[in-house]
Amino acid sequence: MVPVSSYMLLAAGMFSMGLYGVLTRKNVLGILLSVELMANAVNVNLVAIGRSLGDGRGEAFALFAIALTVAEVVVGLAIVIFLHRSRRSIDVDQAASMHG
Amino acid sequence: MKSQALLLLVVVLPALCAGVTGLIPYVRRRGMLAGTLSSLTVLATLVMSLVLLGRANGGEKVIVNVQWMPEAGKTLAEFGLRLDGISAPMLVVVSLVAAMVQIYSLSYLHEEPSESLGRYFTWHSLFVFSMQALVVSTNLMQLFGAWELVGLCSYLLIGYWWAKPSAGKAAVKAFWVNKFGDAAFLIAIILFHAQYKTWDIDALENQVRVTPPGALVVLLLFMGVMSKSAQFPLHVWLPDAMEGPTPVSALLHAATMVAAGVYLLVRFFPVFAANADALTVIMYIGIFTALFAALTATVQTDVKKVLAYSTCSQLGYMVAAVGAGGKLAAYFHLTTHAFFKALLFLAAGSIIHGVHSNELPAMGGLWKKMKLTTVLFGIGVLAIAGIPGFSGFFSKDLVLEQLEHHTVVWVVGLLTAGLTAYYMGKAFVLAFAGEARSDGAAHAHESGLLMTGPMVLLAVLAVVAGFFANPFARLTHLAEPGFHLTTTGILALVLALGGLGAAWLFHGPRAKDPAAVPGFLAPVDALVKAGLVDRFYEWSYRVVMLGLAKIIGWVDRYLVDGVMNLFGWVALEGGAALRVVQTGRAPDYVFAVVVGLVALMAWGYVGG
Repeated sequence: MVPVSSYMLLAAGMFSMGLYGVLTRKNVLGILLSVELMANAVNVNLVAIGRSLGDGRGEAFALFAIALTVAEVVVGLAIVIFLHRSRRSIDVDQAASMHG
Repeated sequence: MKSQALLLLVVVLPALCAGVTGLIPYVRRRGMLAGTLSSLTVLATLVMSLVLLGRANGGEKVIVNVQWMPEAGKTLAEFGLRLDGISAPMLVVVSLVAAMVQIYSLSYLHEEPSESLGRYFTWHSLFVFSMQALVVSTNLMQLFGAWELVGLCSYLLIGYWWAKPSAGKAAVKAFWVNKFGDAAFLIAIILFHAQYKTWDIDALENQVRVTPPGALVVLLLFMGVMSKSAQFPLHVWLPDAMEGPTPVSALLHAATMVAAGVYLLVRFFPVFAANADALTVIMYIGIFTALFAALTATVQTDVKKVLAYSTCSQLGYMVAAVGAGGKLAAYFHLTTHAFFKALLFLAAGSIIHGVHSNELPAMGGLWKKMKLTTVLFGIGVLAIAGIPGFSGFFSKDLVLEQLEHHTVVWVVGLLTAGLTAYYMGKAFVLAFAGEARSDGAAHAHESGLLMTGPMVLLAVLAVVAGFFANPFARLTHLAEPGFHLTTTGILALVLALGGLGAAWLFHGPRAKDPAAVPGFLAPVDALVKAGLVDRFYEWSYRVVMLGLAKIIGWVDRYLVDGVMNLFGWVALEGGAALRVVQTGRAPDYVFAVVVGLVALMAWGYVGG
């Protein structure tokens, strides 16, 4: 049996990669993908800890989270499309019109 | 009628009249109607005042106090009416002179536009009300209110010919100088209340016997007297006040309003007397004013200016007498002075009416044209010069006898008596003797009965009032004079005759140039023309007031505004420095959230 800590290390790595992607990617789609990666790192944690505790609550939460993530992606993609329509670009650096 | 009701009517009736003539347009626009109404009212006031004088003479005393804005256990102030031996003669003097002056005005100002005349008589009625309210005051608060009101009436009446710039300026000057004194007066009565917890004059007089007031408080109160009674150096407004119509000068600036200061000194004597140092200062200020104003009067060419400085000088006598402890002498001189000075002013008005000029050098030879006025003016001159038989002799002798114990003051007083005779004699000789020196004087004419009538009555009083010194003393309970001719009286008489003789010698028909200033008075003339007192006020305004204003302006501009500007600058610069944080790039904000989260977690891990 693989220990829970390994899963948690995997999840931490995924989360960090996602965070790095969010902070560095200029492409909005890339940022969206990175956010998905971070969300799935959480899901990995939920399932792993749920399994180790021996009841179905962790898996149930993960399912809910996946469903919510889908909805979030839909909204995110809609924003991307809107951004592309208005600016002819999906580069976040060019969407910095709120700078002080 | 009961004395209380009479007393109330004496005060309120003129106020009602002022309301009617001032607020009902029909009356206000008809000057003669307003004038008649006003004169009749003040005549009624005179009759009631005489009745009250008779009752006061019989020993009756009335004090009525009404609370103003009463509150549980205490009251803000009181209104009061008071009849006694001191207020009764003043009531009569005020209403008598006011009645004479108003009747005289009906004729003197008959060429004025009707509307202006309505205004004129409204202010006159208002003045009578204010003055009577002042006289019957039972407490300092009411007295101060009336004091301010008479000042207001003075301002309004000096500025009657407001279209004339000099009249407007004179009115404002009178108001300002009086306000200066009144400010000190107000501070004084507040200090009195702080110390004695009362404004009631009787209560104050009882309390100062136990704990005397400080010299500063008394002198602050005296500042009010100085501005109102034109004492040096606050006398500067009185000569300028001659810009008003002559009857106004006769009533306000000779007989009654300027005497209010002396009345206060007499009424409030125990308080002034409670501080001997203050009393000495008062005496010296009084006698200096008397001499200074008399000297100034000797070189004036405007007949009204001569009379104005003469008033100043006589008020100085009264103040000096109070300072020497002679409140009876001061009060008696106040009443006789009210009669003969009002007479002199009205006679001067009669001359001005005939000649159409105020300048003495432009007169001359009026004896042939205006015989009655000559006699009346002459009576006034003899009275003020202190010739035996005329009222001024008795009252001035009382004053000078009071000063006997202070040699310097006494000598100055005698000298002033001589000067008084000289400048009044000069005015008389220049106006009436010799030949006419201008067309106006050549075509002068005697005034009508409405003008001469009041003058005759005042002339009778100016002659006989002196014989009432003893009854006056009994009435006022001030002191028993026991009139007797002393060295002082004889000296004063010699000096007065000398003064009159000098006037005849230098300015009579035989003199080479009657209107010229004699050689020995040339330095005085130069000093008066230099206008040192007015210059000093100008200088102090420019240097002290404007200098102070500049300093305050600097503080406001650079210190107060500086602090405000500093706050603004910090906000602007701080904002400019912080705005670079807001890049507008979403990843930067996410980064900030992550850093914040990590920091919070680190804090929770380490500090929690």
